[in-house]
Amino acid sequence: MVSLLAAQLLNGLAIGMIYALTAFGLSIIKGLLNVPNFAHGAFYALGAYVCFAALQLGLPFALALLAAFLVPALAGAVVERLGVARLMRGPYLYQLLFLFGVALIMEQLILIIWGTSGLSATAPEWLQGAFDLGFTYLPKYLVFNGAMAAVTIAVVWLLIERTRLGSQIRAGIDKREMAQCLGINVAGLVTTGFALGAGLAGLSGGLVLPLLGANSTMGAEMLSIAFVVLVIGGLGSLYGALAAGVLVGLIQSVSAVFAPAASTVLIYVAMVATLMIRPQGLFGER
Amino acid sequence: MRRVTSTYLVSAVAIAAAVAAPLCMPVNIATEIAIYGIFALATYLLVGVAGLYSFGQAAFFGVGGYVAGYVFIHTNLPLAVGLLLAAAGSALIALIVGAMSIKRTGIYFMMLTFAFNQMIYYLAYSWRDVTGGEDGLGGIRRPDLALPGIGTVDLSQHMHFYVLTAVLFVAAFAALYQLMHSPLGLILNAARQNPRRTASLGYSVYRAQLLAFVVAGAASGVAGALFAMLYRIMPIDAISWTNSGTAVFMVIIGGMSSVFGPVIGAAVFIWLQGFFSLIWARWPLLFGVFIILVVLFLKGGVMELFERTRRLISGRTRAQPGPGREASTQAGTQTVTQTSLGTETGTPTAAGKEGGAR
Repeated sequence: MVSLLAAQLLNGLAIGMIYALTAFGLSIIKGLLNVPNFAHGAFYALGAYVCFAALQLGLPFALALLAAFLVPALAGAVVERLGVARLMRGPYLYQLLFLFGVALIMEQLILIIWGTSGLSATAPEWLQGAFDLGFTYLPKYLVFNGAMAAVTIAVVWLLIERTRLGSQIRAGIDKREMAQCLGINVAGLVTTGFALGAGLAGLSGGLVLPLLGANSTMGAEMLSIAFVVLVIGGLGSLYGALAAGVLVGLIQSVSAVFAPAASTVLIYVAMVATLMIRPQGLFGER
Repeated sequence: MRRVTSTYLVSAVAIAAAVAAPLCMPVNIATEIAIYGIFALATYLLVGVAGLYSFGQAAFFGVGGYVAGYVFIHTNLPLAVGLLLAAAGSALIALIVGAMSIKRTGIYFMMLTFAFNQMIYYLAYSWRDVTGGEDGLGGIRRPDLALPGIGTVDLSQHMHFYVLTAVLFVAAFAALYQLMHSPLGLILNAARQNPRRTASLGYSVYRAQLLAFVVAGAASGVAGALFAMLYRIMPIDAISWTNSGTAVFMVIIGGMSSVFGPVIGAAVFIWLQGFFSLIWARWPLLFGVFIILVVLFLKGGVMELFERTRRLISGRTRAQPGPGREASTQAGTQTVTQTSLGTETGTPTAAGKEGGAR
């Protein structure tokens, strides 16, 4: 029992890092455009399927992960340029519906290209096997998965907090007009930010492929999980997204042991509890 | 001040449309349009009148459907009781969801309604004993309708069921129109345009919006109940977030400038769905393309198309920027100036600040 619980905790931690990574991408897009990206789940699914396709072509896993980041990022840039940017001036309801339409199209395109049955892929050989911790086994891929997510989050955090590009992005988030007046190309930054957010979602999809496989409902599932993570963590808070992502992952994996039937609903219970105790989210500002 | 068109007059148009519908299309299609018409009207009350961009209306549609389905499978209760229970169940859920969401404005509100929708979806998904889970809740009967003085009406006949649906649709339509021009409707309208000013005038914006949310939830529940009875099955898809998106889309495609907009939107959606699903199994793709085209090129929806045609015919070339709102929904609140839709609570900066973003 202890070993099972320990295994589930480690599992939850790794999955939670993936949730944090995806929610982080959603958070960037939300911050830049002030619009919830309804196509985020579709970008995540696209990443998983692209990773699968790349592995089938015989590419090494590292390149497949790169593709899982780049293809959704590119798709995100196109979506932003052709649609979201044009709808910038109206109420965000139109941007929202536009992204809803994009999500529908991408979901169906994935089904057309890769079919309706679920796909699975194995991790490369150097990531197979497990460490023996004495009380439980820790699969190598889980370690890689968590580490990759952590490193990516750290890199993007440094990019946003410590570089010139990042400070321009933050300026664009805070005061769009002012930043424009100072000669910052806000439109370009927004496209970059959207691409980055979509890319992070895609990378998450690529990372979970050896763990959970790819299927037609993964996008919608992840979309709602990412929303819940943002609400629990508090909109606009990076630490919040991280902490809430891990929390949601742990809740899911632990409840899978004790109450498997309720595990999908429990994260929403956690959301409601958070809202009742701290309406602004764990780390959100009022 | 512009006179408000009488509820009777506007309802007469709805009645005429409801009578004409089964003459020009298969009766089940007409029934479905009437059902989705109720759903779209409820969503219009939130999105168009109150400015509450809810992306979780399918939750209430679904709860109504499941409640009615459960009642009509497991009990012998009469029709009216089943419908009332469906409305009450949805209203109760809407009260809980609304109470937790409405205080958060802008994007936060929208994300919360969406998340609650997903929560209820997964509840329905995993509570197989009651909802049938993935397979849907099948074998829902249509109880006979006992009318005092007329006798019992057999609703298993499609035409009879259509008449029931159409009557409820016209009632919902008239009620919504009446509500829009009631003091509550005016408060909602004012709060959409300037919530702080409305609050400082002494109105409780929260209470008015919560009331609207509950009313819309109850109406969606009735629509869901009728939907469950129409095909005698309550599919799990009807409660999914895609259906919530559909509800918002019906409001937009019809046009938010008039109360007829959502009804036209419902008709367009049902027709498109039927048409697209005939040509291709992957019809949501075509639907997605359609949504994008409308959002990019016809923001005012079908009502804007009418408006453009009318202006073309009357020869006036004066260009009006943006999706111009008809004054009919505005009467009485003209004191609050509204330049465009963008000045609503949903402006990026305002929503961002209130939504707790940094």
